[in-house]
Amino acid sequence: MSRVERTTRAGRTRPTGMTVATVIAGSVIFLLLAIPLAVQVITAFRGPFLPFGVSTARWSTENFVTLWGLRDDFWDVLGATAAFVGGSTVLSLLMAFGLAWVTVRTDAPFRRMISVLVIVPFIVPSIVKAQAYLLMLSPESGVLNQLLRLLPGDLVIDPYAFSTMVVIQSLTNVTFPYLMIVPILTGMDGSLEESARVSGASWGQTLRRVTLPMLWPGLLGVMVLTFILGLGSLEVPLLFGQESGKDIFALKLWTLISAGAGELPQYGLAAAWGCVFLVITTIAFVIYLRATRDAERRASISGKGFRPTTMKLGGWRIPVLLAILVFTMLTAVLPLFALLWSAITPYPLAFSFDALRTQTHFTAFGEVLADGEFWASLGRTLIIAGGSATIACGAATVLAYGIARSRATGWTRSMDLFASSSVAIPAVIAGFAMFLTFMVINPVIPLAGTIAALVIAYSYRVSIAYRAGFSATLQIRTELEEAALISGASRLEGFRRIVAPLLAPTVFAVWIQMFILGTNEFTLPAFLATPESRPLSVYMYAMINPRSAQLYAPDQGAAMALIFTLLVFAIGYGLQWLVSLRSIGRAARRGRVVDAATDALGTAAVAVEATDATDTRSVAAQQVAELTHR
Amino acid sequence: MTTHHMTAADGGGRLVVDALEKHYQLDGAEVPVVKGVSFTIEPGTFTSLLGPSGCGKTTTLRCVAGLETSDGGVISLDGKVLSTGTRHVSPDKRDVGMVFQNYAIWPHMSVFANAVFPLQVAAGRLPKKEARTRAMEALELVQLDAYAHRPATALSGGQQQRLALARALAHRPKLLLLDEPLSNLDAKLRDTMRNELRSLQQRLGITALYVTHDQSEALSMSDRVAVMNGGRIVQEAAPRDLYFAPADRFVADFVGRVNLIPAVVRDRDANGDALVEAFGTRLVTPCPVESGTGADVTVTFRPESVRWHAAPVDRPNLLPARVARVEFLGEIVEYEAEILDGATTVGRVIARGAPLNSPTEGSTVFLELAPQACRVLAA
Repeated sequence: MSRVERTTRAGRTRPTGMTVATVIAGSVIFLLLAIPLAVQVITAFRGPFLPFGVSTARWSTENFVTLWGLRDDFWDVLGATAAFVGGSTVLSLLMAFGLAWVTVRTDAPFRRMISVLVIVPFIVPSIVKAQAYLLMLSPESGVLNQLLRLLPGDLVIDPYAFSTMVVIQSLTNVTFPYLMIVPILTGMDGSLEESARVSGASWGQTLRRVTLPMLWPGLLGVMVLTFILGLGSLEVPLLFGQESGKDIFALKLWTLISAGAGELPQYGLAAAWGCVFLVITTIAFVIYLRATRDAERRASISGKGFRPTTMKLGGWRIPVLLAILVFTMLTAVLPLFALLWSAITPYPLAFSFDALRTQTHFTAFGEVLADGEFWASLGRTLIIAGGSATIACGAATVLAYGIARSRATGWTRSMDLFASSSVAIPAVIAGFAMFLTFMVINPVIPLAGTIAALVIAYSYRVSIAYRAGFSATLQIRTELEEAALISGASRLEGFRRIVAPLLAPTVFAVWIQMFILGTNEFTLPAFLATPESRPLSVYMYAMINPRSAQLYAPDQGAAMALIFTLLVFAIGYGLQWLVSLRSIGRAARRGRVVDAATDALGTAAVAVEATDATDTRSVAAQQVAELTHR
Repeated sequence: MTTHHMTAADGGGRLVVDALEKHYQLDGAEVPVVKGVSFTIEPGTFTSLLGPSGCGKTTTLRCVAGLETSDGGVISLDGKVLSTGTRHVSPDKRDVGMVFQNYAIWPHMSVFANAVFPLQVAAGRLPKKEARTRAMEALELVQLDAYAHRPATALSGGQQQRLALARALAHRPKLLLLDEPLSNLDAKLRDTMRNELRSLQQRLGITALYVTHDQSEALSMSDRVAVMNGGRIVQEAAPRDLYFAPADRFVADFVGRVNLIPAVVRDRDANGDALVEAFGTRLVTPCPVESGTGADVTVTFRPESVRWHAAPVDRPNLLPARVARVEFLGEIVEYEAEILDGATTVGRVIARGAPLNSPTEGSTVFLELAPQACRVLAA
């Protein structure tokens, strides 16, 4: 009965104009994702260079034959990629689960501080993190290797060893699974575990027999997404992999299209590579879809009292804190120190107090701030990140509302799947496919290498906004809109006065998140940007890349990385602060309670942080409500 | 309480629902949910749709509200046609107010903003000052005027319920629709709200259509109750008639506790009373159904109309029984008795009585089923 009612009742309150808007938004998203992928597939089957407009273009399977001809190379890349991405995924998932468990489910001291420390690297651009690790691990001057020399035994970490690269990659990405695991652990119904304990199971047995099986589908979903993220990111392979001699897929794709002087780049072959890996990620995406479906099914079983029980650490407190200290040293303190040290020294130099006194200077910072190109690329970064976040959030929200509020048909179901699918496209493939697309359409629409091209390319991460908008719409009960209709409001008025204000906090939180992702983006512009359109991340890479002869200036690169990180921090937290201030202001005015503000600020900031953007306003309002009742 | 302008003079409208039909699509098939429902609500009266879940009562209400488009039949309010099977007035132009099961209070607005909303939107727009006065009046009606500037989410469940009511009344609709509005409240609050709701409806003289699955709500508040089952109205009557003169076994069973005893008609007399055979003995009972001698029927009587005696008395319909189970429920005692024919058990009867005067478990008693408390229904 309830199913019948839900499917038929939905849609009755939707403004008629919304149908048009939904179709437009759906088309935008469809074009955004489908065209580049189609162009890539066509390129794989049409000749060695571009698929249209050149004499060599014709239908053939030549590229796949070539790929098979180079199968030793192919298996090498596949093996290296599997080991690199698989290894780093498992490692970062283990770390993330451990950290999430400590912060959510134990009585460890400083839990709040730990959770902030883990989230902070999320704001640091990946390319900056990779650069910092490279500096930290330098055999002679790296601070970590220096520290290791102080220990007995002759321990030196080789930065270009494959295992080092795996660890670096996992450290770079650990925040992402952490942010997704925390809500899974928080949302777990503690009474299910308690009933296992009461039935006589020990902590270990409860974990093995109840907790993990219950969390498994959710964790599997996180694993798949982390895997795809790892497969798509170019930063670590680019900085470490070129020296290690291992061909990892992301790097392979990048080298294939950045051909040496005098030869035509092999777009066709690169596209064939892309197709193979797209098949792999599609399989991973199907696994993800099943996992999330199972996770939802299990979540719906849980009872009322959402209070996870906390585990008493007891004697484990010290080892746990030590582990977290080591983690923080590796992810925050040492990289930051390495960057700072590099910025104030003229050339790679081991740290010593003597060097600190005689060799250091702060001119690099001044040079960066005086560099016109720094400001220009910063401006471009803000435009690209802001523009793409706006397009993605706008289209995704309209589509999400339209789909969530219409009767489920084959059409809406496939559109829903499609709009959710951009998470399955690794960034390198998206970057490459977008690059091909802009090359192909350039004779008609000359966008290749422009800022507009980057705005469009960045918008491909539309699924993040779509999923958030979809679940936010589902949380607005249809009754709220029906009540507006019954009160005499037209459908449009109902949407404007009821739905829009209720969706706004989520949309804005997602906007900030996508904005930060955009400012940090390196992989996409690595494929698409020219010196005229490059954002800060690419400009900074040129500064630290020894191959970019005239721009190479590692001290300025490090100084720029620090300034860049600080700016992203300032902008990201500034925006969040504004949002929470607004919502708290409103809540305080309503409830005439000001004491709640400080506490709510913390909650709101964390809420905005989370991948599943929570409604910051309701959090604040709820706290005010609780306070008033007391 | 201050004088307010919302008085009986505002009056309510006359709602006529005629042969209403509604189907749902389920996996490609048409499933009828409302199958030809007809009823009329006179201005200023209170009618309940009562029935088990899935009987079509909420769908009927939503068709009247315009939130659901009906597939057949006519709905009209004060002569104005709201729905035919093909044409439908949209909900915002129907001049109705509605209280939803989950209140549907807009969480991003204050109490006042919720109440004033119907006076700000297209259909019922008023000048700012007047809208303010009217919204405050509506809040006063439900004693929420002191909370006007609180966030709506800071209200308790009962207060949210009252706010939903104020919002539904603010634009002085001709018809008030209530969709199980009390089902989310705790038992004590439910009783209070029941009284408040009824007295408010009477004071305002508004026409009300109330949907519930709770028979005590329907009986206590309504002028008329329509019992629905399987998409149809089975019986429409005043509460007392419904309770004491149910039309069939379903109504008898759904409205309160009842004993349903299989019986055979043996004789009828001039008064319309019948002599039926049940429990292996003869009982006298009024018999409104057309059934000749030898017909299978059902004798019904309410547990609270059964009286017990420790020793035989000279009354009609007296049955010897053994008390098998006694259950203490607080304000009453319910007991189950096995009707005896000599030493063998020939049937069971549920009875209720005052807690201070109840038979003890295992004792043998004589149960009296007064003829006027019994009723014969078709089998």
